[in-house]
Amino acid sequence: MSLARRRKLLPWWFALPGLLWLIVFFAVPILNQVSVSLMSGDPEVGFSMTWSFSTYWDAIRDYHSQFTRSIGYAGAATIIDLIIAFPLAYFIAYKAGRFKGLWLLLVILPFFVSQVMRTASWQLILNDQGWLVARMQDVGIVSGDGRFLATGKAVIFGISYNFLPFMVLPLYATLDRIDRRLIEAASDLYCSRWVAFRKVTLPLAVPGIFAGSLLVFIPACGDYINSSILGSSNTTMIGNVIQSKFLNVLDYPTAAALSFILMGVILLGIAIYGRVLGTKNLTELAG
Amino acid sequence: MREDDARAQSALEQALDRQVLTGRTSRRRFVGRSAGAALMATGLASVLSACGIDGTAQENVAELQKEAASVRHPKVPIGNWTFSNWPLYMDKSVLKSFDRKYGGKVKYVEDINDNNDFFGKVRQQLTQDQPIGRDIVVLTDPMAARWVRSGFVTPYDFRNVPNRKNLVENLKTISYDPKRQFTLPFQTGAIGIGYDIRATGRELKSIKEFFNPQFKGKCTMLAEPYDSASTVLIMQGKDPAKASIDDMLGAVAFIEKAAGKGQFRRFTGNDYTTDLTKGNVELVLAYSGDMVQLQADNPNLRFAYPEEGAVTFTDNLMLPANVAHPYAAETMFNYLYEPDMAAKLCAYINYISPVDGIRPILEKTDPDIAKNELIFPTDEIRKRLRLYPSLSTREEQQMYEAMAKVTGA
Repeated sequence: MSLARRRKLLPWWFALPGLLWLIVFFAVPILNQVSVSLMSGDPEVGFSMTWSFSTYWDAIRDYHSQFTRSIGYAGAATIIDLIIAFPLAYFIAYKAGRFKGLWLLLVILPFFVSQVMRTASWQLILNDQGWLVARMQDVGIVSGDGRFLATGKAVIFGISYNFLPFMVLPLYATLDRIDRRLIEAASDLYCSRWVAFRKVTLPLAVPGIFAGSLLVFIPACGDYINSSILGSSNTTMIGNVIQSKFLNVLDYPTAAALSFILMGVILLGIAIYGRVLGTKNLTELAG
Repeated sequence: MREDDARAQSALEQALDRQVLTGRTSRRRFVGRSAGAALMATGLASVLSACGIDGTAQENVAELQKEAASVRHPKVPIGNWTFSNWPLYMDKSVLKSFDRKYGGKVKYVEDINDNNDFFGKVRQQLTQDQPIGRDIVVLTDPMAARWVRSGFVTPYDFRNVPNRKNLVENLKTISYDPKRQFTLPFQTGAIGIGYDIRATGRELKSIKEFFNPQFKGKCTMLAEPYDSASTVLIMQGKDPAKASIDDMLGAVAFIEKAAGKGQFRRFTGNDYTTDLTKGNVELVLAYSGDMVQLQADNPNLRFAYPEEGAVTFTDNLMLPANVAHPYAAETMFNYLYEPDMAAKLCAYINYISPVDGIRPILEKTDPDIAKNELIFPTDEIRKRLRLYPSLSTREEQQMYEAMAKVTGA
């Protein structure tokens, strides 16, 4: 083998462990599940490959409301997180000074406790007789019947709470890296602080907003913990359906089909979102 | 006798061969079809064989019974072995005294939170005829029945469990295991009316209360259709033990109608306890054992065996297929059936014990427990206890699918 040839192959050798990892732990399971989604049968006689694409249509027909609900809840939670996280990340990046590390630690601290535990604690705090629900009733977040748990609002709240750090961290990373001299230059050129923020800081923070939104939205779409702990039968998300199909009903083909539909919907959504934010090149966002 | 044993042995070997062979063919058949990357094929084939359960339920049970006829688990020293159970379902001192008495070390894991979830965890190994790394598992009736039907159990050797004579009369037989060759009751409980008497202001006695507009949005229903639909059938005057799948689907539809009107705040597993203790709801469809434990903290909480009758369930000690330490497990079965140990366990976990003769012991050690009718139901209550229906796996799937629609999933 010539030296040039060997050189050309070298990067592939470096990529090998990663590629193998992807093949074994991503490609194989995905292909597995694709094949399962096209099978039919029942748990007693087993499932066999019948190329039944109709499973997909049936799944959409039966569960479109859970799909829309999941996207709605995840979207709402993403917006809420963005509203909370942007000022917070801005504060940490520009105002926290030497306490930056401490603030970041506080943001990720809840992650040291399992998500189920955190969510279950909210179930205790948000009980109908509780102080918090009474205050929320005072300000009109909770309607007259005094119930917050077992409603859609509670599920959106839970998702926003659980995924907040995923929004804060990329936003912080982006904001922190913005060259301060650009903002100074803007004010030198007679920009007000608000205009400088709008014309300089905000556009430069777009990759962070994009990354944060994806990190919150994607897992939130498939989440089922919040709905099962804080919600009711009227708030089930597609993740709950997939879980129940896999573990209770033992209808593996539909469960697999639902997972792929969810994946497709999310990919499509991201593609559109990427277009809108004008960042077609994913490497731009990686930072 | 010896000849019989030998014949059964060879039948068993044949059965095993057959299983191995079918496993091999299905894999080869698959590779032939895909002709794709070898890696992908093995992955796919493993899923294929994992999903398929070879043979029918009858064949499996017949095979198991053959195996049971000749089962022999010789006495061996007890080393390290594993006992899988539900959380808060054991007095750990019983385990310690077992280790001291018989040697070895039991690894006790509380990893069964839900029958279906646990089955999902070990399904792959079971269907591929692999050991699941546990020597005892504790499963509730319908799931225990599924394991027996699918041949996922090992019969236990009666010679190692002489105390099985202490099993209470009414549990000595059950539809899916008439001679109790594969299952031994661990604890039983009943499903009934749990409520907070301060909130309701009166005693509740009937299952009809769950459909009373007074409790609209103020009560919870169990998501497990075996529990909730069977209870509704009892309300309608039918015996769930004799119910067909259509009866069960009818009961699910009845629940669905009420749920559509917002009657139930939530469909729950054991987590109704939070809703009840926090005052989010006033009335819950509850498990008797949970309620004894909740009452200890809040005397206003009540449990009633419904006047129409109550579903009773049994959690069963079982040896999974390909069990590695059957002798240790059977010794534990036997130990748990010593009345002294059973009494100790009962005083700790507060469920209904399937072991005869523990009441006189508890009258001396724990008179309160001995008096509690949730733990020692009166004869009048016992007469009203009903068993789950027996459904095939396919019917079970139908029922779960219908219930999933009701619970929104």
